[in-house]
Amino acid sequence: MSYVAIKGGAEAIRRSKRFFQEELEGGAGISEEQLRLGLRFACDRVMGEGALYTEKLAAEAVKRSGGDLLEAAFYVRAHRSTCQRVGETPCIDSTGARVIRRISAAFKDVAGGQILGPSCDYVIRLLKTLRRDGTRSDWEKGAAAPPIYVPSALAFLRSANRVIRLDNREAAPFDITRFSPLPPYPRSAVMQTMARGETGALLAFAYTSMRGYGDVHPTIGDLRLATAPLFFTHPFTGKQVQIGEIRLTACETAGSFQRDRRDGKVRLSVGYGFSFGYNETKAIAMSVLDLAMSHATFSVGKHNLAANPEMIVHHVDGIASMGFTNHFKLPHYVTFQADLQVFHQAEQHDQAK
Amino acid sequence: MTRQSDVLFGFLDEDAKKEIRRALLKAVALPGYIVPFASREMPVARGWGTGGLQVSLSIITEDDTLKVIDQGCDGSVNAVNIRDFITAVTGVSETENTTAATIIQTRHRVPEHQLQEGQIMVYQVPYPEVLDSVEPDTARQKEMHANNDYAKLWVLLYEDTSQFGDSRMASGYPVAVNGHYVMDPSPIPKFDIAKLNMSPALHLYGAGREKRIYAIPPYTEVTPLTFADRPFQVEAFPGKACERCGSSRVFLDEVHLDDGVHYFCSDTFHCDTTLDSQGDDHAA
Repeated sequence: MSYVAIKGGAEAIRRSKRFFQEELEGGAGISEEQLRLGLRFACDRVMGEGALYTEKLAAEAVKRSGGDLLEAAFYVRAHRSTCQRVGETPCIDSTGARVIRRISAAFKDVAGGQILGPSCDYVIRLLKTLRRDGTRSDWEKGAAAPPIYVPSALAFLRSANRVIRLDNREAAPFDITRFSPLPPYPRSAVMQTMARGETGALLAFAYTSMRGYGDVHPTIGDLRLATAPLFFTHPFTGKQVQIGEIRLTACETAGSFQRDRRDGKVRLSVGYGFSFGYNETKAIAMSVLDLAMSHATFSVGKHNLAANPEMIVHHVDGIASMGFTNHFKLPHYVTFQADLQVFHQAEQHDQAK
Repeated sequence: MTRQSDVLFGFLDEDAKKEIRRALLKAVALPGYIVPFASREMPVARGWGTGGLQVSLSIITEDDTLKVIDQGCDGSVNAVNIRDFITAVTGVSETENTTAATIIQTRHRVPEHQLQEGQIMVYQVPYPEVLDSVEPDTARQKEMHANNDYAKLWVLLYEDTSQFGDSRMASGYPVAVNGHYVMDPSPIPKFDIAKLNMSPALHLYGAGREKRIYAIPPYTEVTPLTFADRPFQVEAFPGKACERCGSSRVFLDEVHLDDGVHYFCSDTFHCDTTLDSQGDDHAA
């Protein structure tokens, strides 16, 4: 009778890890630059969900994980834990950032214009190339365009005091990387949780509010891909210095009008979404969820999934949900055996009746 | 084991460790009370022991001796992985010896050997909130804990008992700590709960994914929630003993093989030492 059956196997783990690496060896020649530029949206998604702005490491993570983006984001988050927090930068104003794309679905024309920028929205998704599809022949790459700055397409409604301004009782933004938020959840904590939430999770929850289980009928007021400067207080001079730039996606989505709690007048409700890098789906979904949670006063009201911060805050993190789902692969024989004993007792209890 | 020089001692940065230690101090001061903490992402996945890992890495010093078990076994895959990681980032010595360890990180079991003063048990916790099964809203849960209002939990216990003769909560059975907070002792079998009561060791619980920490200080009363007319029933193995070392009165693993069911100690160190002492007897 062998006892080996119950022991684990350090050697087996070692070989399994090796096997995994061997399976991905075919991609050894893919460079970081190829990933960063050619698989930009994968890398951007990993930066966002990994909650660390690092194009280089995101590319490295995509490679190491063989393109499993949940895994890749997980690599970045784990790396993040080793980084000392130096301080806080001032807020970025995404409406003041340099845009390469800015569209508004709310208005036909807006101040600054509709700037289509790079987009796959109108690409015919055929894996075969059509002969008449726009080729490079009629496309001349012009000189670098001058930087474009445009105000939010909702700016004029805001300046006319026609948009609800949420009360901000927070002296400083909450930091979910330093404290675990408790209810009632500060909006900044909810927004941070969503900003590093899993794209698919945000999308699914936002989708519930757009169809059967909510009242959000969103209109995209201002969606932009932009580059914003990042400032930091110089430790010696105490002055604000620019330390770099980040690429970002920001979305303002208009919901229905409702009565403003501050003065009882009807105003428009607006939600905000943000993502590191270029990830329009995520920013839109987040803005819809913000709208649902911050203005939950309609017919289904607080009872729908997407309007419940308790539901969103605890279930959109990909690192947490992916890890926990996979943990069920770990041995559970002690608990299962205990379950079976109680199960057996219940059977006996039934029989004794 | 020497530490890999390109990582910080204990992997986490000092601010993270400080925050976790503060949460731990609060948890120890309020036995059974759930303390939120930020919970860093670790290089092992959420749900695989990241809470326990962060607790261990925050309290560990160069002089510690580490033991890691999973299902009672030092050789279990996840235990090996976690032990390798902690020793790689701290350089501390490791052991399988329950008595020699100063820190024991565990999943699903409390060792069979009597724990001693100065030892710290670190539990990996999947669901820290005992009230989750009856009240999912965190704000309500906090209120219920504050008011010592466990009525819903009692009703659940009663409903199960009336229908099935006992609670269906087989592991992670709710316990009252120091006469106030009811807590989830992590998914240990009911068999292990008696070991927590008035234990000389410090018991720390870390839930990484749920971002919660709680504790049972040494010599604290820990009692399972039970009805006065229903004795607390733990897993029993009547007539069975470990086929390897002969131990009974320990938690046994049921191993299903082609030739039927076999029983072995779940605690492999207990099994090894029992076997060794028999060897000594024969020699003597």
